[in-house]
Amino acid sequence: MDSFRQAFELLFSLDKELMQIIGVTLRMSFFSTTISCILGLPIGALIGTKSFKGKSFLKKLIHTLMGLPPVVAGLFVYMLFTHYGPFGSLNLLFTVKVMVIAQVILITPIVIGLSSSFIESTSKPIIETARGIGLKNGKIVKLCLSEGRTSLVSIVLSAFGRSIAEVGAVSIVGGNIQWKTRVMTTAIMLETNKGKFSFALALGIILLIIAFIVNAVASFIVKEAKDD
Amino acid sequence: MINITKLKKEYRERTVLDIDKLEIKDGEMLAVAGANGSGKTTLLKILAGQLKKTDGELSLPENVLYMPQQSYAFRGNLLENITLGKADKEKGEKLLEKLELSHLKDKKAVSLSGGELQRLSLCRILVRKAELLLLDEPTSACDAKGAELVVEAIKEYRKETGCTVIMTTHSPALAINAADRLIILNNGKIEADGEPLKILNEPKTDWAKSFIAGWKI
Repeated sequence: MDSFRQAFELLFSLDKELMQIIGVTLRMSFFSTTISCILGLPIGALIGTKSFKGKSFLKKLIHTLMGLPPVVAGLFVYMLFTHYGPFGSLNLLFTVKVMVIAQVILITPIVIGLSSSFIESTSKPIIETARGIGLKNGKIVKLCLSEGRTSLVSIVLSAFGRSIAEVGAVSIVGGNIQWKTRVMTTAIMLETNKGKFSFALALGIILLIIAFIVNAVASFIVKEAKDD
Repeated sequence: MINITKLKKEYRERTVLDIDKLEIKDGEMLAVAGANGSGKTTLLKILAGQLKKTDGELSLPENVLYMPQQSYAFRGNLLENITLGKADKEKGEKLLEKLELSHLKDKKAVSLSGGELQRLSLCRILVRKAELLLLDEPTSACDAKGAELVVEAIKEYRKETGCTVIMTTHSPALAINAADRLIILNNGKIEADGEPLKILNEPKTDWAKSFIAGWKI
């Protein structure tokens, strides 16, 4: 109960550092989810609708990458952007930008995997029917997106959920720097290490509240779409 | 005239369709029968351009419409489902009336029963102009009354437009009542070809005899 009280006190006190951490968390999650969806949805659509040599292997590879351990992704990005790495000159290590890059590597396979499975299973009758009445490709793509918007929202939410809850990769490449790259999950980890369990739990509750609000907004959008 | 020559479709080295020659006259109504997996749907999908052939030559008209076996209900009401892609609304309303769906026209298409949905799919096809109509088991989900409505609507459309119709079916009644000609496929090959009643009453091969005996039941 103490943690709940502390969580609400922290939220309503509009603590400057907490607001900054929430801001970085939302910014990072928003950009990594958006970029992953921009990259992943068209690739997922291609895999879901086309037949080609090596498709089965590619699907296996994507499913493997869906379970990529965040620390491995973090280590990989760290090695790319460290001063001795190929992109070291960009000086991006320990910035929010490189945290977004690490998360894009983690989330894009999830978006590709989920969207290709969805498109493979549900778009076939849509495409068959639409082509059957002579609709052009542009109209068919619009129809598929309109018919599948509920599932598409779920895919985006899954990506956002993974992004906001991730700690391993962002702590390696972001460094959990106060006022700069500290996000909710790395702050929780830090407070836990300091033995401030109650405060860490309060941060966890705030993280859940943010996730709940995002989900509620998405559910509202889906409900509106269903009622159309 | 539709010409099909040496048409072959293989799936992983298994031949599912192997038609040496098939000519269909303009305005003809052809029923295609056969057991499950005999190649009926594969033939229609190839003609509709939804499936690539492995080999062979096809000579088809430009304007081909295809109604798949699995009917799909898009979001929106019945009329919105029919007029997708700017089809004639007035014609759509007339078709709904003809297929006894007009009392449901403001309902969502997803709320329809299987038989109603199949009739809606047919409306979606018949509201458009075609030179060749490909219908995959157009009465499979309909009851007797529904099947009768479907047959009447197809006949009327054909009379109005003079289009050629190819439909697959598991129903001898549909073949007799609607088609000018019937072909029966067996493992992708044409086993029988001719006037429906003649084929049903005088099957030429032992396989056709046994298939028709089972079909009548």
